[in-house]
Amino acid sequence: MVDFSFWDIARNLLLALRWTVALSLIAFIGGGMVGLVLLIARLSKLPGVAHGVALYVQIFQGTPLLMQLFLTYFGLSMLGVDTSALFAASVCLTLYASAYLTEIWRGCVLSIPRGQWEAAASLAMNFREQLRYIVLPQATRIAIAPTVGFLIQIIKGTALASVIGFIEITKAGQMIANATYEPFLVYGCVGLLYFTLCFPLSVWSRHLERKLSVRH
Amino acid sequence: MTMHTKTPNTIPLVDIRGLRKRFGTNEVLKGIDLQIQRREVVCIIGRSGSGKSTLLRCINGLEEFQEGVLTVHGQALKINDPHAMRELRQNVGMIFQSFNLFPHLTVGQNVMLAPMLVRALPKLEARRRAEQLLARVGLAEKFDNRPDQLSGGQQQRVAIARALAMDPEILLCDEVTSALDPELVGEVLQVVEDLAEQGMTLMLVTHEMNFARKVSDRVVFMHQGKVHEMGPPDELFNHPKTPELQQFLSAL
Repeated sequence: MVDFSFWDIARNLLLALRWTVALSLIAFIGGGMVGLVLLIARLSKLPGVAHGVALYVQIFQGTPLLMQLFLTYFGLSMLGVDTSALFAASVCLTLYASAYLTEIWRGCVLSIPRGQWEAAASLAMNFREQLRYIVLPQATRIAIAPTVGFLIQIIKGTALASVIGFIEITKAGQMIANATYEPFLVYGCVGLLYFTLCFPLSVWSRHLERKLSVRH
Repeated sequence: MTMHTKTPNTIPLVDIRGLRKRFGTNEVLKGIDLQIQRREVVCIIGRSGSGKSTLLRCINGLEEFQEGVLTVHGQALKINDPHAMRELRQNVGMIFQSFNLFPHLTVGQNVMLAPMLVRALPKLEARRRAEQLLARVGLAEKFDNRPDQLSGGQQQRVAIARALAMDPEILLCDEVTSALDPELVGEVLQVVEDLAEQGMTLMLVTHEMNFARKVSDRVVFMHQGKVHEMGPPDELFNHPKTPELQQFLSAL
């Protein structure tokens, strides 16, 4: 049996941390893009679209992320797509993030007074211009704090990707704990690493919330 | 009304016929007929809930209506045709009770934005025009301020300059002084009055009866979703014919 030094544990966890960060970024950026498209589709009042998006949001909010990961992973391979764990986790977390982000952002857009839309409309701006120049710039300010807050949820959510065999830090921690028989030490380190990722974001989010709410 | 019997060059700028508007089962406009001529100043008065603001909002398509025909400049209003609405709204400016300035833009940008987007006006030209218009409403020095640094009266004057930047043929004013502190009402009404004198076609929903009497060519009294009485201000205010108008005026 090989002996693991603390340095070995830390090094392996830090290497795996890159994948936690990468998966979080993929989910956040991908989810942000899909979420924005869904938001615009929903706001455009195309018949049926709003209901479709609302249903999509409800499905992702109404089922555990763990189930979503299983269903994506096994669903994709049933469809004949040769999936890696990274690919399945990226797809699933992107969809999951898009559902939450589109709903968060919709709330921000709805909080912009109707008079802003009306003023823009009565100046002959079309829907795209109203959204692009009047509503989204104002909604973005409101959205920053809750969006950063949701990024924290995504980072913690990536831990679940370990169940489909994706080696991010939770999975890496599991493997190292099994090899070292030091589960408390290892999971303690894993937890600490999550915390060092999330805590600054959480502080930043609260700071933004305070700063942006004072201005109004 | 005698307008539509006149020669074609007096085709009304706004022509409303048989307009009906429902919110669900609640009919708020029950068959409105109203013609507005070029350069005419028309004040709409009436109790809250009589449909004044709704009528005004129908004219630039902020409200849909279910029956009737509304034409501006001879073009029928088609709310589901974005191109037609874009054309129409360039001719119809609107000023709101709550100003609705864009808070994330400076005063100057508020005035410049729509001409640049909708009319593709070059930035320098838009800026020059915005400066002129802000000078016209007495706010030239506020060009780089944010709306929230301005008083309500100043904000409303910016809103007027912003609407004028699109060169509208008619300006709809929806209770433009109702959200203002009493001491700020005068400066806004002065600007509106100047516009009237310069020949702008105006349609105002207002509770300022003295102002209505002073600037209007015609006053429209609305009651329960209908044009109840209409005429020159002196006649309407001094010799109201219907008991509803008499009651409305005596309650003021």
